[in-house]
Amino acid sequence: MNNFFKKKKRWLQKSERSVEKQEQEIKKSLDYSKTHFINQKNNKTFTLTFIQTLVDDKIVNNNMLPPLIEEEIASVKEVEKRLPMSDIFVSKDKNEIENKLFHGYVMVTFDDSPEEFAFIGAAKNIGRSVTSPEIEFSVVGPKEAFIESLDQNINMIRKRLPIKELIAEEFKIGELTKTKVCLLYIDGVTNKQIINTVQQRLSEIDKDEISDSSYLTQIISDNGNSPFPQLLDSERPDRIVASLAEGKIAIVVDGSPHVLIGPTQLTEFFNSFEDYLLNWILASFIRLIRLFAVTFSIMITPIYVAVVTYHYELIPKDLLSTLIISRRVIPFPPILEALFLEVTIELLREAGARLPTKVGQTIGIVGGIVLGTASVEAGLTSNVLLIFIALSALASFTTPVYQMSNTIRILRFPFLFMAELWGLLGITIAFGFLLTHLLRLTSLGQPFMEPIFPFRVKDYKDALFRFPFNMQAKRPIFLRTEKPQRFSEEKAKKKKDIDE
Amino acid sequence: MQEPVHERLQISPFMAAFIVMAMQFGIGVLGFQRIVAKEAGYDAWISIIGIGLLVHFIVWIMYRICEAVDGDILTANVYVFGKAIGNTINSFFIIYFISACVAVLGGLVEVIRTWMFPNLSPLLFGSMYLILGIYIVYGGFRTVTGISFFGLVIPSYLLFSFAYAIRYGDFTNLLPILDHSPLELLKSAYSMSFTVLGFGVLLFFHPFIKNPEKSKKWVHGGIFLITLIYAILAIISFAYFPPALLNKSIWATLEMWKIVRLPIIERFEYLGIANWSLIILPNVAICLWTASRVIKHVFHLRQRKGVWFVAAICLLLILIVDSRERMDMFTSFHGKIGFGLAFVYTPLLYLAIIIAKKVKKK
Repeated sequence: MNNFFKKKKRWLQKSERSVEKQEQEIKKSLDYSKTHFINQKNNKTFTLTFIQTLVDDKIVNNNMLPPLIEEEIASVKEVEKRLPMSDIFVSKDKNEIENKLFHGYVMVTFDDSPEEFAFIGAAKNIGRSVTSPEIEFSVVGPKEAFIESLDQNINMIRKRLPIKELIAEEFKIGELTKTKVCLLYIDGVTNKQIINTVQQRLSEIDKDEISDSSYLTQIISDNGNSPFPQLLDSERPDRIVASLAEGKIAIVVDGSPHVLIGPTQLTEFFNSFEDYLLNWILASFIRLIRLFAVTFSIMITPIYVAVVTYHYELIPKDLLSTLIISRRVIPFPPILEALFLEVTIELLREAGARLPTKVGQTIGIVGGIVLGTASVEAGLTSNVLLIFIALSALASFTTPVYQMSNTIRILRFPFLFMAELWGLLGITIAFGFLLTHLLRLTSLGQPFMEPIFPFRVKDYKDALFRFPFNMQAKRPIFLRTEKPQRFSEEKAKKKKDIDE
Repeated sequence: MQEPVHERLQISPFMAAFIVMAMQFGIGVLGFQRIVAKEAGYDAWISIIGIGLLVHFIVWIMYRICEAVDGDILTANVYVFGKAIGNTINSFFIIYFISACVAVLGGLVEVIRTWMFPNLSPLLFGSMYLILGIYIVYGGFRTVTGISFFGLVIPSYLLFSFAYAIRYGDFTNLLPILDHSPLELLKSAYSMSFTVLGFGVLLFFHPFIKNPEKSKKWVHGGIFLITLIYAILAIISFAYFPPALLNKSIWATLEMWKIVRLPIIERFEYLGIANWSLIILPNVAICLWTASRVIKHVFHLRQRKGVWFVAAICLLLILIVDSRERMDMFTSFHGKIGFGLAFVYTPLLYLAIIIAKKVKKK
């Protein structure tokens, strides 16, 4: 095993390899192109080497070849000086060849000095254009979302934060994919220790392939064995900018339309960016509704199972008769009934997610209701439970962050089993485990449950509630920013007297 | 002197109060009324307030001890009595906290078996609960503190449920006030002391408080609040139960819930008991943490291993004390040790420290 890795390492090592040997290897690919040209002024021959599929023909034909052929250029040094292009780079390092060619550069060599190379950037940019956000859709507010291009994404962030303090540090991750990863933060605001933590974790990553930012979430999270996401991902530039301004860091990954934010807290996963676009009273109300929805969604089926299995005394007489009538013909114990419906809903959700359009989800839910009604009529499940399950499914969709809503999907199952084991007592114990797990979690070293625990009243201004902007003059304490004050509080708070 | 705890592991002064409160608020709340009323009748609420004041005094001494030796009680014992005797006394605390854990968890199992599930397996429930406790301890003292916080805050809504009992209470039950002799009041205060025990844990986690000086007001405030809750609960119970009935109510608090009637909940005590397992959680976690920390200090066994050892002994003892009589015996035995430690040993230790300091100066 060890030997295998050593071999692999040796294969990837590029030192001591001649140009010819590298050429032999690259030649095997169909898109390898090497063409000789003659300069018309001094009759010198030069060669262009590039990977056709990565290079934009128009740049080569219109911007590169005319000056190279028509003007008096005799060496790579002159190429750098006289070509009307900005991204030119001269080197004698053979190891650069592979790297540059596969990043869309055209290599120019003159036949009389084959050991000197000029690399000219001519990468072809194929990508989709900026579209409106699909997962974090909002009725009001900006309608642009990130795309797969790192440059374009950073462009969208920089346009909204045109200051020199916004630092973008680059990392190359993955031995095979060589993914460009960019760490963004505002210098002088973001805590140095948090930046150091991220820098260290990013540079320590040892994985050959990074295809998306969600890979990074799993690798650099504090606890990789937790169902809870510990870094927030967003497709909205406005949300990223707001987080950066708060003093958080952002990680942009090339090829991923989602940008990561950290450190985060639990409550942040139930905040939508739309909360900031609405009046604070509405926003706070909606946030509370969301939190209620999450609790309801996780707890209601386990409570049903617990009550119907063990504690029917808990239910008042009138309600009990409704329950009993609905369960009269059901041949299964409550736990099987609940599991049957929950699994059905999960199947439909999963099928809906795999269907090509967003319509798929709607169809899945409608199908769920149809299936549910049929199963009630067939006497397999009670209609009271069907209502609960449908409601809890609905409630779980209110979570604005997709990764968190997945977590909430699976959380109810341990609760269900504990409810079957010990009724309400079991639910409490499952809750104890959940609470402990959350208390032990950290996000980039900061406590995940803040401001609930450690209890910090000052950070409630933007957690469970969203207080008005003039009360948000200080950055959150848990970020331990270098500049805690965002704007002058006194100025924002100053009010005129009556009739003044 | 003892090596200071890293700031990353410390808790805020405000949170220190929750640990002390969580320890004071345990299984005793469910049935302390009958025990205090045994001697002083319906004047017992005076004893409760009296014992509360005494607790304030003892906590003051505890702070003085920790400040004098700049560490916890383990350092204090070694400082006063030398390494051999000091550590022998320290290892005694391991037994004390194991028995505290058993008293609390065994009490919970008993309540559940009486009220909810007669067939509950103490082995299965105990091990599940202790594993949860170990999971908490593995998160470090901050997680223990967090559980203490939530273990008090989340079930605090239960306090409102006692309003129902007020509606059916007859407060003339309490009259005439001060109908009992001071000796009876003292005896009642003595039996109440078992319920309010647990604040001694302050001596063990003192080095974990970020700013101990600032924590004083919070800890004293917390103790005041707990005393107040106990006193009010006692007064409500005395109004609700006629004396003869209270004498038969082992779990008077639970029985008061029987009167609660909500539109969607009929038997409120089921909800209460389920919630009580959350209130007990900090007690168990703190006991496991303290016992394993003492083991680490005395026997140099890693806390990660020690806590499993502690939990195993707790489980074994819970299986042994599985009847009402044994449980009663065990709790009163544990209460007596606790009383001795908190109200006799602590002041003596403080005196010893003062003397030792003077001797060592010379």
